[in-house]
Amino acid sequence: MSEQSKDVCDLNFAAEASNSEVHSSPGVPGGPSLPASQAAIFPGPESPPVGPTDAPLASPAPQAPSEEGDPKALQQAAEDGRAHQAPSAAQPGPAPPAPAQLVQKAHELMWYVLVKDQKRMIIWFPDMVKDVIGSYKKWCRSILRRTSLILARVFGLHLRLTSLHTMEFSLVKALEPEELDRVALSNRMPMTGLLLMILSLIYVKGRGARESAVWNVLRILGLRPWKKHSTFGDVRKLITEEFVHQNYLKYQRVPHVEPPEYEFFWGSRASREITKMQIMEFLARVFKKDPQAWPSRYREALEEARALREANPTAHCPRNSVSED
Amino acid sequence: MQGSTRRMGVMTDVHRRFLQLLMTHGVLEEWDVQRLQKHCYKVHDRTATVEKLEDFINNINSVLESLYIEIKKGVTEDDGRPIYALVNLATTSISKMASDFAENELDLFRKALELIIDSETGFASSTNILNLVDQLKGKKMRKKEAEHVLQKFVQNKWLIEKEGEFTLHGRAILEMEQYIRETYPDAVKVCTICHSLLIQGQSCETCGIRMHLPCVAKYFQSHSELRCPHCKDYWPHEIPEVFDPEKEREASISKSNKRSLRSRQH
Repeated sequence: MSEQSKDVCDLNFAAEASNSEVHSSPGVPGGPSLPASQAAIFPGPESPPVGPTDAPLASPAPQAPSEEGDPKALQQAAEDGRAHQAPSAAQPGPAPPAPAQLVQKAHELMWYVLVKDQKRMIIWFPDMVKDVIGSYKKWCRSILRRTSLILARVFGLHLRLTSLHTMEFSLVKALEPEELDRVALSNRMPMTGLLLMILSLIYVKGRGARESAVWNVLRILGLRPWKKHSTFGDVRKLITEEFVHQNYLKYQRVPHVEPPEYEFFWGSRASREITKMQIMEFLARVFKKDPQAWPSRYREALEEARALREANPTAHCPRNSVSED
Repeated sequence: MQGSTRRMGVMTDVHRRFLQLLMTHGVLEEWDVQRLQKHCYKVHDRTATVEKLEDFINNINSVLESLYIEIKKGVTEDDGRPIYALVNLATTSISKMASDFAENELDLFRKALELIIDSETGFASSTNILNLVDQLKGKKMRKKEAEHVLQKFVQNKWLIEKEGEFTLHGRAILEMEQYIRETYPDAVKVCTICHSLLIQGQSCETCGIRMHLPCVAKYFQSHSELRCPHCKDYWPHEIPEVFDPEKEREASISKSNKRSLRSRQH
């Protein structure tokens, strides 16, 4: 299968790279050990790159005649992995980095993506390039590939391009069964409860929830827009900015209303990560009623659950992880 | 994988899920880590015996080694609770925070960090930190804003606040110990017992050696005479208790029982 062979290639590449890694210390790029054959071909770093090289090049020589061989030979030499022993003459193109440097970049990118996800921030491709990849932009694809491989192998996470339009990536769990197990330690995650409260209000209303309605509900929890809370801090900032920033909520001005009023909607991330059935179960628990006390919503939740099951037959139904202790 | 000279552990879905969740939570106390481990076994491998936590983590760390990250275990300085976090060994700066905070915010943290390290008690007062607001790099920040940023640091577990004073959270020490030791080699204090970075602790008034509170507790458990381990002079401070996870668990169980009687909100 073509996919398998790609994996094998990747593994070989990774193995070769991890060999060269053994020789480089953490945080210090380059200084890799070249494969023996290439080391024999290229003389030491001091040799001036004048005229066509004596030794045969590892890869097929360019078609250009030997008078133009200088810059071409330089480029070939650089491309054969001599990044650190770059010739003193200016090169027509950038020297491709040594495998070890690409590996290091992949590790940096892996950590960057993990931290962004931990903070529930958007993983935006232009940010990735600006903050991590930098001058290695040309090798972005291979760096990304390696990072995805590591994330899958070690963390069981897929780095997926969720939206080509906005160039957003997200980390998706690749393990079965899918569960909201960030709530596995639910009694330590108060944010989830607050968010679920708002999401379920919006869901039950069937349309956007006005900010005043949300505050009425939060008042039951003792939260007020002007009061700082010991756990949540500035609650208003949390729900109107942070949750919105993390795409769990949308906060929009109600059109044609004066004085201005705002309402909340589900964010794209909430729609992706939280099922309607989980909301129903949350409501049932909070109000101590049967989920069927909201018949039309419950029906919607059932339909969504069925659609999810059909789309993904290998995963079993998400356990009621919201109540899991 | 061919040609690996290191003894590599085996990653299964149990380990992967564990890593995912540890990363999600940022920093966890030992008891939560044990729960987490059991949860991962329950989900992926019900029949297997749950490996001893230390071996479990060493196994994972042997795989993480080539990625220059590690599950590090530390101890909170004030009450000796073991904590765990996934840290990046390759960074030599406060870059983990860098993606979260603006330039002036990061600089505020650095200023606070310096004050904390230079202080005698390991605490820097809010006033002293805020007075440095004019010296920050980047966009100009007002004191009111700086107060809010300091609260953000507390919420994100980089700083702890106690009565208007700030010190480093255990997580910050875990993640940044290397950076701190390299950046402030002269100002940094070290515990005589465990040789790790010391922010809060007790010190001998005669010879000046310092010990973490949990290190003091452990040391004097096996030494009945209250004398300085270095100069043997009388140790003038109150000896804290050794952290006992069992007592801790009982306390939190009774607390959560009380809580579940009221309406469950979280």
